[in-house]
Amino acid sequence: MTPARVFGLALLVVLLAAPAAVSQESEPSGQDLFEESCASCHGIDGRGTEYGPSLQNSGAAAADFELRTGRMPLHDPDAQTVRKPPAFSNDEIDLIVAYVASLAPGPSDSAGEPIPEVDLSGVVLSDGQEIYTENCAACHGATANGGAAGAGALAPSLHLALPLDVAEATIIGPGEMPKFSFDEAERNAVVAYVRYLQTEDAPGGADIGGIGPVPEGFVAWLVGIGSLTVACWLIGSKVLGKGEG
Amino acid sequence: MAEQVSVKPLKWLDERLGVATWARRSLKKVFPDHWSFLLGEIALFCFLILLMTGVFLTLFYRPDAQPVIYDGPYTPLHGQEVSAAYESVLRISFEVRAGLVMRQIHHWAALVFMASIVVHAMRIFFTGAFRKPREVNWMLGVGLLLLGLGMGFTGYSLPDDLLSGTGLRIAYSVLISVPFVGPYLAFLAFGGEFPTEGIISRLFVLHVMLLPGLIIGAISAHLAILWRQKHTQFAGPKATENNVVGRPFWPTQVFKSTGLMLLTAGVLALMGGLVQINPVWHYGPFDAARVSGPAQPDWYIGWLEGALRLFPPADFKIFGLLVPGPFFPGVVMPGLAFTSMALWPFIEQRITKDREVHHLLDRPRDVAWRTALGMSTFLFFLILTLAGGNDVLAITFGVQVEAVTNVLRLAIFLVPALGGLVTYRMCTELQDSDFTPFRRQPKIRLGRNKKGGFDELP
Amino acid sequence: MKTDRLIAFFFTVSMLASFGLIAVYVFEGDAQLEGTFLGVALSGLGIGFVLWAATLHTEPVTEEREHPDDVEGGDVELDAEPLTRRAMLWKLLAGAGGALAAALAIPALSLGPRPGESLFKTAWTPGARLVDTDGNPLKVTDIAPGTVQTVFPEGQVDAADAQTLILRVDPNLLELPSDRVAWAPEGVVGYSKICTHAGCPVGLYRAESHELLCPCHQSTFDVLRGAEPTFGPADRPLPQLPIEIDSEGYLVATGDFSEPVGPGFWNLDSDG
Repeated sequence: MTPARVFGLALLVVLLAAPAAVSQESEPSGQDLFEESCASCHGIDGRGTEYGPSLQNSGAAAADFELRTGRMPLHDPDAQTVRKPPAFSNDEIDLIVAYVASLAPGPSDSAGEPIPEVDLSGVVLSDGQEIYTENCAACHGATANGGAAGAGALAPSLHLALPLDVAEATIIGPGEMPKFSFDEAERNAVVAYVRYLQTEDAPGGADIGGIGPVPEGFVAWLVGIGSLTVACWLIGSKVLGKGEG
Repeated sequence: MAEQVSVKPLKWLDERLGVATWARRSLKKVFPDHWSFLLGEIALFCFLILLMTGVFLTLFYRPDAQPVIYDGPYTPLHGQEVSAAYESVLRISFEVRAGLVMRQIHHWAALVFMASIVVHAMRIFFTGAFRKPREVNWMLGVGLLLLGLGMGFTGYSLPDDLLSGTGLRIAYSVLISVPFVGPYLAFLAFGGEFPTEGIISRLFVLHVMLLPGLIIGAISAHLAILWRQKHTQFAGPKATENNVVGRPFWPTQVFKSTGLMLLTAGVLALMGGLVQINPVWHYGPFDAARVSGPAQPDWYIGWLEGALRLFPPADFKIFGLLVPGPFFPGVVMPGLAFTSMALWPFIEQRITKDREVHHLLDRPRDVAWRTALGMSTFLFFLILTLAGGNDVLAITFGVQVEAVTNVLRLAIFLVPALGGLVTYRMCTELQDSDFTPFRRQPKIRLGRNKKGGFDELP
Repeated sequence: MKTDRLIAFFFTVSMLASFGLIAVYVFEGDAQLEGTFLGVALSGLGIGFVLWAATLHTEPVTEEREHPDDVEGGDVELDAEPLTRRAMLWKLLAGAGGALAAALAIPALSLGPRPGESLFKTAWTPGARLVDTDGNPLKVTDIAPGTVQTVFPEGQVDAADAQTLILRVDPNLLELPSDRVAWAPEGVVGYSKICTHAGCPVGLYRAESHELLCPCHQSTFDVLRGAEPTFGPADRPLPQLPIEIDSEGYLVATGDFSEPVGPGFWNLDSDG
């Protein structure tokens, strides 16, 4: 662990411990946490404001995804959400998620999608590859290194995504991402394939970004023709040896 | 003793072919000494390596679009229906011993081959080496550049993976955009409406037979003409229009070239072994309804791709007939570019009215207008090539891809113009100075004298 | 001269045979006829050349055997005189050669079919069910809001030009052209997945802004407004598939796309 990380962790512990120390008597409820950190944009009872959408039907999967990947809370409502260290502890996230999931306006209304189960035992990797290239590769790239989706939207690299993140994202379609109606087996297969892309090693050597011919072209020029031009210069100049003339 | 042995077969050969005089003269042939004269040799050596690795790959590759079920060692594709061509590329990559390194060396060699042709052509252009009497060799060179592009494109398409299929699809769309004959051309070239099964075997014949045959012929002619006309040289104390000053072919030039050949092979082998290129297993088999982003061609097609990306939405109609947008960036622009490039020696003769024979090279600064024009052209194609990766630039710099496109749409006019002006200015300034950035100044050696001062030593 | 007339005769025969070869090729083709005509065309030319050579009457020339490479070009005089007088024969030769070249080039037409109607229509027919890539027919209830899916006509999952994206959006947001209002039941719209610029699959969907984007050249299409292009090099909207819901709740097409799919070509606006 680098010193910077140790320091950061220590700071995090202090920051988290400080409010805990104050309110040791009564642990804050999910609603308390929501009103403290989320309601300024999403409104009281998650009704939504001009800064943030209503969360009354968004469900547990969405809240879990946004909080666990640190995308929420968001300081600038116009910015694209990106993966950050989560702002809450796991227990706190569970409390907020439970609260958001309970926010359906009436008892008969659906309360969004629950957090999916991810079970990678017995999945067929090849199914995942097919589903991934058909549905995900256009934006996230064949190697899951991410891509530009236009209008400033960025399909992020999936190399840091946990299996549950991937599963939740296909269900809720965060941000500009569409939803995908995969069944459970399909979803698990796609998660397994992303997992495979994260862990596989590059059989061909250094994988220079894994985003296709652009970095390959740079390497061909800088390393390939670059070094050979230097070689020509050395061969043709009088640097090597004295020469006769 | 050893000499006796080695001379004997030569003598035997001479009695039959009578080439001793010619050979002796050839071995003494003079090659002017300048490092930049070696750049074209890199292209030649890359081509040799392409031939050798290509022959190896041909032994295992199957030019066949027939669907087969993949059951090789790469598990993420297990059980999928892929084309026999794609399956054979996976086999080369994962099962054939030394297959992956051969494939990667072949691909890197192709990228460096095209780069070395560009660098070599720039050397010829900026030094005016294309002037009379070398117009024919310049045109042969442009032909080789075109053949190289053809080789690159056909080779890129052979693995039949998703990325290469996307490239073919764009080529089809450009072909079909030609007014009146487009649909016929596209159907003849592809054997029907895209995607067609026959295209792989057609590309294969082009890639391993027709195009390499033409390249071998053109390179032979290129070198024969070079040999016949003798190499150009920079003006020097002894070098004039009427002589050639340099080192003899044997032994100096042969040793230098052999060294460069082995170095080229060495660099390509290192790249092929250490840097992954075109991981076709990631892209997956071609499927007409799938696409992966970012989707780019290899770098030497990047300028065409960039032109397609930058060109505004401008389908227009003339007498009710549609002229689709891709026609201009995809057909007209490259057509004009290669025609004017091939005819450049004659265009320049018209401009300068200079119809003399030239064996002495120009220093780029001395013909400022040509150097400026060359720099403008280079920058034009550089911007187009960058535009071919506008989405990768957007990710890398964290900006909107639309913003990158719009900036480059302006830059394609501004940068070549500005670059040309700046180059012109730099050339005229350099003309007035004696500054030679790439030449080592003669060393002056000083020695302490008895009085404590310094004297220049001989 | 008698020989000249003979040569002219053979050149003419060759030319006629070449025309015959072209005709045979255009009308179906027949190996025996093709071989015969080709043989006559080639031999006619060949006999003409041989006869011509016999009339040239050039004197034997002596050349030294030793050191052939010492002879520099330029001092060899070419005697063109016997060749220049026969303008008629040269013209006939050009005609016969040209006809043979045309006859030999014509088999290039075997490389592909004529485009004909194929660019103007796809596999979609009225009543064709929409199926996913595995061939399962889709009900409107299978299409969740905010999703995007690639579909094909039932039984034609390999028909590349029929690939279609269906998306479900809020019907209140849709602003389709007035004649297509009925084409999107319950907010389910279908557009050709083939980009109208250079034919790539338009694989990216930005669900919040309701825009489709092609990863090849970043052409962007507005899903709510009939897939009109909003950015990039594409100038024509993605053709829309007319969709309805049949009595069993399945999604079916009511016909082919609104326009020919894919990249533009010169007579795209004609009726095929």
